[in-house]
This record gives sequence, C-alpha cells and structure tokens, in this order.
Amino acid sequence: MSPLLTVLVVLLGGLVAGAIGSLTGLGGGLVIVPLLTLVLHLPVPEAVGVSLFGVIATSTGAAPRFVGTGYNNVRLGLFLQVAASSGALVGALISHKVPARLLFLIFGIVMLYSAVMSFMPTQHDAAGAPEDSPLAKRFRLGSRYQRDGQWVEYKVAGVAPAFGIMVGAGFLSALLGIGSGVFKVLAMDRLMRLPFKVSTATSNFMIGMTAATSAGYYLSHGDVSPLVAGPVIVGVLAGAYIGGHWMTVLPVKTLRRIFAVVLSFVAVDMLLKGLGA
Amino acid sequence: MTAKLDSQRRLINLWILRTSIGLSLVSILAGLGVFLAKGADYAPHTPSGSIAAIIVDVCQEASSLHASAFLDIGVLVMLFTPLARLLSGVVVNIRSRDWLYVAVGLLVAGLVLTGLISGQG
Repeated sequence: MSPLLTVLVVLLGGLVAGAIGSLTGLGGGLVIVPLLTLVLHLPVPEAVGVSLFGVIATSTGAAPRFVGTGYNNVRLGLFLQVAASSGALVGALISHKVPARLLFLIFGIVMLYSAVMSFMPTQHDAAGAPEDSPLAKRFRLGSRYQRDGQWVEYKVAGVAPAFGIMVGAGFLSALLGIGSGVFKVLAMDRLMRLPFKVSTATSNFMIGMTAATSAGYYLSHGDVSPLVAGPVIVGVLAGAYIGGHWMTVLPVKTLRRIFAVVLSFVAVDMLLKGLGA
Repeated sequence: MTAKLDSQRRLINLWILRTSIGLSLVSILAGLGVFLAKGADYAPHTPSGSIAAIIVDVCQEASSLHASAFLDIGVLVMLFTPLARLLSGVVVNIRSRDWLYVAVGLLVAGLVLTGLISGQG
C-alpha cells in the first residue's frame, strides 16, 4: 500500500475508532489494532504502540466534556492509577517477548469479552454503596456528582478487589494497545458500586495515563511510525468530537450492540490468526 | 478556599486539554501537509532511542521543515498530556496542603516517567 493510501486508511480508521469509542464506550484500540494488523499488516508491536497514542487521544478528546460535572472522581482515579500504571509498566517491559500469535489469542478473547459485556445490563445508578469501605474512608474516595442539576453524594465499596483488577487492566492495556476501559468500568460499576457516569468518566481519565505509561516504551523502541500515529491521533480526536455531538440523537444502545456483533467477527478472525489457522 | 482551588483546577485542566489538542492537531496536520507537498514517496523516519534524544532530534529536524518533525511534535504533545494533567493536579494539591494526594500523584507520575524512560535500554 502506498504511503498516501496508508495515511488515508489510518485517518479514516481513527475517525471511526474515535466516533465509536465516544458513542458506545467501547475503546478505540479494539478498532485500531485489528485495522493495523489485519488490514495494513503492521507487526503487532507497531500496531500496539500506535494504538496507545490513539487511546491517549481518546482520553484527551473526551475529557473537556467531563470538567465541572463532578463525574470524574480525580482522587479515586489517582488512587486506582497506582495499580493500573504498575500493571502497564510490567506489560510494556514484557511486551516484546510475547509471541505475536499469543497476543492475537489474548486480543481475540478480550474482544469477545467486550462484545459480550455490551449485551449485559449496566447497573445505572442502582442502589450505590451504603457506606464507604475502610480503605475508601482512609483515602477519601467518596465524592459527589451532578444529576438533574443537583449535587448527589455517593459512597465507595470494594476498593481492594477493584485495585487488583486495575493491575490486570493496565497490564492488558500495555500488551494489547487498548484502554481496557471495559475492565475499569466493570470494576468501578460492579465492585465499587459507583454511579455509572462517574465510572465512565473516571475510567476515561485513567486510560490516558495508563496508555502514557507504556506508550513511551514503544516509541523508544522505534515502534511508533509518525506517519501512522499522526493520522490516528487526528482521526480519533475528530471522531470523538463528532461522536460526542451525535450522542444525543443516535440510538446509542442499538449502535453499541451492532458494533459488538462486528467486534465478535473480528475477534474470531484474531483468534484464528492466533491459532495459526 | 476549596471552591477557589476547585475552580482553578478546572481552569488549568481545561487549558491543558485545549492547548494539547490544538497543538497536536496543528502540528500533525502541518506534518501531513509537508508530506503531501514533498510527494507520496517521501517516507518520514520513525523515531527511536531515549525520549530525550527523540526530543533533541525533533527540534533539529523542525528547523529544516522535515515532515516527520512536525508529526513527531504532535505525537510527543499527546504523550506528555496525561503527565501534564497529573502534575498540574499535584501542584493544586500542594496549594491545598492535601499531602496524601500529593504523594499519590507523585507516585503515579513516577510510574509514568519510569515507563517513558524504560524503553531506551
């Protein structure tokens, strides 16, 4: 493929990844890595390295929407980020030693899991934690957010198990070039019993820092071509902007399910590649 | 005092995000423009080595209007955005004397910085 065509394909892919990520909450990495490996035939470390920059762009592009709403719990995000960045550091350090076929297998499984989770109901502000756990009290993790113009306080439970999941989420992020938002939101939604919007906004805050922990490693290794990463960043930023504006008029739940089905097919393709079929 | 610091935190955060997005977009689009102007066969080189060495290379190449330098600047701005947000939060926490979260923020910054320099070996 000529460099010019590569730029156009990647720009379009980034646009789709940014829009879908913004509309459905399913991370752009799940679009970018398969595009770069299966369509453009880039080696896995290069695709992962470039995708991590797309993840940072997703986090940066979406963040202004959450400023001032109280959705992003900064203290909680920082606390859990200790775990996520530790996992990301380990993931980056071993990333070049893991065989490509194993990476395809893990990626396929994570994609299938993300697709299945799209059909699961979220708890959507169901009864939150009745009181802060001891760790949540110690680190003042409970906070408040705006709902229908009112500030609503919430408590935080299950801090220790969620901290453990964040280590794994960070590890997978560095290894696969994804934001691992699906695991982060799951831990915050189900274990910590946070309001759903707080979970998604705090996860968005965290995925950028998690990706930044390992992105420098790939850059230093010469895995990040500026001609690929640049259009991905532009595409993702533009896509996130467009997606954010369409969010109120498009049937997001239906879109999320359609995308999950597409994701399942790509996941099977990744799994077959991993199995050498 | 807390409300004032919260307001400052919001303003600083928004400024960092908007500056980063603007700078990154302008830089990458300029790089793609130079790339197109020089012809599709022109392939910008892929940076490698320590982050410090990459930054020095990029600065040198930018002066000679290399497409890759502009693209790299956009990529580097994105890379450092989460760290800038993190450090601005640490500064606000220092001002509000929230030492627990100054420590947590510095620990996370240390991990991110370790990640940034760990690939140069």
